[in-house]
Amino acid sequence: MTISKRFFRRALAAMLALSLPAASLLAQTKLSIDKVYTAYLRNSGTIMAKGQIKGYFFLYMSDKIDRHTDEYTLQILDENLNKVQSIKFEDTKKLSLLESAYNGNSISFLFKNEDTKTLDMKIYDFNGKLIYTYSRGFDKKTDDLMKQYETLHTDEGTNKNVFDIGDQGYVSVLPLREGKQRTYEMDYYASDNRKQWTYVPNDDAEKYAMAEYLGSTDSLIILEVLKKNKTLGNDFSSHLVGVNFITHKKQFEIDGTNDQYNLVPSSILPMDSGRLMLFASYYDKDQNIVKDFSRGLAIYEITTSGKVLTKTYNTWAGDFARYLPTNSKGKIDDIGYLYIHKLIRTPDNRLFVVGEGYKRQANAAGIAVNTLSILAGGGTTTMGNTKIVITNLVMMEFNPRYKVTNATIFDKTKNTALASSAADYGSQHALALYLKMMGAFDYAFTTGDADNSNFAVCYSDYERSSEYHGQTFNAIRYNGKKFTTDKIELKSKASMMRIFPAKAGSIMIMEYFRKDKRLDFRLEKLG
Amino acid sequence: MRSYVPGLNRHTLIIALLFISGSFICCPLVRAQEKEFTPATENAALLASLLNQYQLQYKDDLNQLPSGNRKDYTEIYDERWKSIQGKFDKQEIYTATDAQDYLDKLVNVIVKGNAELFRRPFHCYFSRSYIPNASYMGEGIILFNMGLFERLTDESQAAFILCHEISHYLLRHQEKSIDKYVTSINSPEMQAQLRKIKGSEYHRREQLQDLVKGLTFDSRRHSRDHESEADSMAVELMRHTAFALTGATSTLALLDSVDEDRTDAEGCLQRTFNAGEYPFRKKWLARDEGLLGGHAHLKSEGQVGLADSLKTHPDCELRIKLIAPLVGVAGAGGAGGSPVGRGDGSPAAVRAGRAFVVDPVKFRELQERCRYEVIEYAFVSDEYTESLWLALELLQQRPADGYAVAQVGRVLNGLYRAQKGHTLGKVVDLPAPYYPENYNSLLQFVQNLYLVDLASISYYFLKARYPELNQYGAFRKALEEAARNKMEQD
Repeated sequence: MTISKRFFRRALAAMLALSLPAASLLAQTKLSIDKVYTAYLRNSGTIMAKGQIKGYFFLYMSDKIDRHTDEYTLQILDENLNKVQSIKFEDTKKLSLLESAYNGNSISFLFKNEDTKTLDMKIYDFNGKLIYTYSRGFDKKTDDLMKQYETLHTDEGTNKNVFDIGDQGYVSVLPLREGKQRTYEMDYYASDNRKQWTYVPNDDAEKYAMAEYLGSTDSLIILEVLKKNKTLGNDFSSHLVGVNFITHKKQFEIDGTNDQYNLVPSSILPMDSGRLMLFASYYDKDQNIVKDFSRGLAIYEITTSGKVLTKTYNTWAGDFARYLPTNSKGKIDDIGYLYIHKLIRTPDNRLFVVGEGYKRQANAAGIAVNTLSILAGGGTTTMGNTKIVITNLVMMEFNPRYKVTNATIFDKTKNTALASSAADYGSQHALALYLKMMGAFDYAFTTGDADNSNFAVCYSDYERSSEYHGQTFNAIRYNGKKFTTDKIELKSKASMMRIFPAKAGSIMIMEYFRKDKRLDFRLEKLG
Repeated sequence: MRSYVPGLNRHTLIIALLFISGSFICCPLVRAQEKEFTPATENAALLASLLNQYQLQYKDDLNQLPSGNRKDYTEIYDERWKSIQGKFDKQEIYTATDAQDYLDKLVNVIVKGNAELFRRPFHCYFSRSYIPNASYMGEGIILFNMGLFERLTDESQAAFILCHEISHYLLRHQEKSIDKYVTSINSPEMQAQLRKIKGSEYHRREQLQDLVKGLTFDSRRHSRDHESEADSMAVELMRHTAFALTGATSTLALLDSVDEDRTDAEGCLQRTFNAGEYPFRKKWLARDEGLLGGHAHLKSEGQVGLADSLKTHPDCELRIKLIAPLVGVAGAGGAGGSPVGRGDGSPAAVRAGRAFVVDPVKFRELQERCRYEVIEYAFVSDEYTESLWLALELLQQRPADGYAVAQVGRVLNGLYRAQKGHTLGKVVDLPAPYYPENYNSLLQFVQNLYLVDLASISYYFLKARYPELNQYGAFRKALEEAARNKMEQD
């Protein structure tokens, strides 16, 4: 048998198929050179802009150059899965691509180089030409911290670390370990000129801080920062920090010092008036923001210099209780406590808040096992006596004066998120943070028009009805006037079906047909 | 979501209301309906019988393949057969008897003038594809796409197209290409190069790419040579018929502009879907012009020289230039279309030839029918956006055409059903940089619509035409479905 027929056939299959069609009067096909060699996929992901998916990247190791160097091919697909750019470059074999962002006139890629121990931000123009490269080092402790880093404010499929800030450039927010201390570093990378600078807070006496990107304006990057505070007995305090990327200086820091409450920001939205709208959970001064449940939701209007102009509070026990059966501790009958996933502001200044319920229930099986174990002299097992159950979705609506005006419950099948002994301990709130970080909630993401005039809140569920038994993907769609629901049953003719977030208002459906060894992708609109 | 209230009463009431309002507003009498286009019914039994016959022939051909590298040959011929089978399975072959008879008559004129064709039987069929092309598929099957036939000027152009494809068949271009490929990859030189690449530790992809590039350039060059050969032979085949040879050059000139993007999509959409009750919205045309929005302007691969080397066909201009002397030699002289004698060494006699030889009336009638059949077939083969595009183009030229109106509604209703059932991605094209700009605008329009828009646009578009078309069954059916969809959304 002649050598490597399989090798060659695979390599040339595309060429043959395309050069040997029916002999026709007019050419209908063109060669695609990418198909002719075996590719090893290293990383893939979404390209984000302003919190929306704009495209996809696939990084392949396409060739070996020498002992230390590989050739990579970075394929860029647009939001409709069309290949628009293919970039080849050479680099160390220990390279991985973390995230990508897009700002309308360039695309950025954040690489981790294990050889040089650097994080490299590469910015390309639309012709695939590399225009800027920026590097910063990282050590092992920081690397370990990066691997554990989870955010509380991002949806499935969206970036955690790299964000576009308009057509000027990009910012990355990454955790940093310096000895025993934890802090964060914010890096700004210009895409319209060669400029890069780094912000590391130097005013934090405790040197224990975790930061998350919340949003940006044309001059400000806004972060939520959690710090440990000795004066609070080593409890955490929450801060809203605005850093000016033109002056490179911190412009403001808002904490609970001059406020009657402590806030934990969850979202910031620039307003047309130039002000910022801040959404936060709020706590009494004597409450622990990590362990205790909040009093409710606060909405502040603030200036870009950090001055608070208006404050509006909605309590669980008072304001929300008018629409949901809530007790004094904020627990809603049959739903439990609410975890806030998303805040959405529509063009007519209405606000919608997406919450999902979770509650603690007795775990009969755990109780039985633990009882038997104790009786046998063995002590408790890893099974908890209680379990955490994820309940229904709740959509809350606020008027332009930021007062809650409605709340609607969307039923779904309850599912057990945590049945280990960990469920027996910890506060409800701390558990919710854990559940969020583990991806235990059914809420997946929110997608829609950039101005939120139409949006769809997406979540997974398991249906047990006479007509259908199996996993479903669900959407609660708002069309500017009312809510409608949509559902996709995930059992189909395909061997496997999965849903991924896609461009605004759409999802990507992947179907795998085992018998045909075929993987089909398509985009579908919601609602 | 409000549930649909079924029952005849509700939508009968709506239709009655429409009739009343339409009659009152528009005219007291309903205009007598002209006969609207009705798509031909495909003869499934005939297609199955033909497929069976060709399959026997294909199996017979397999037995005659060379014994050396037989597995490679079989694999390729198998792929070719699957492609042929697909045309029959998808009912792409047009089975209307009168159309087939006409096509057979055109072919007979060519066969009668060229004795060698008697010994090499082949079959020509119309394909219901909208793509302006024709092709030799293998197994003696030539397909003449309706998308091309409808654009021709006269029979001499149809004759050139048939002769071109017959030439590919006679000269065994496909079989030769397969031969060349199999021989190349199994040659000792190629195997040695592959061994070398496989044995390399580094730069394997680069080496393989160079090897493939060389093969590709070679293959594409041969393909271009084959096209030029087929053009030349086609002229020679035509020379022995009564068809005017100028049909060859005029066809190539037509092909050069066949892909031109002529319809102003945005203007068309705004005019067509701007009902008083549901006015057109600018956001339906909104799009992202950046790299990732689906409408990017991408640079062509490499330099022009490189791009030319990768073409399978020479440019039409070059093709015209190459055959012009052959056509020009017989460019003047008596009418009547006497075939030129062969083999006596005398210069080819000059003759004018005729634009029409078989049946000009049937030619025009079939062209007219092709215009509609391609729209219908695009829809039934789940190419909804293409069907909508073609129907809108037709509607611009014939605003009162009942089939075009009904088809637009039918496609919009189909888009509604698909979007509701989460299968829209299977029936529409997505905006892409390689589509013509105007078609891309239509695709973006479809992407920007929600269910309520699809239902309302369809309903009000059809409702406005109720007085003129209410007698047309396909129109009524589309309107009824649109009314039901609209009620679901209200």
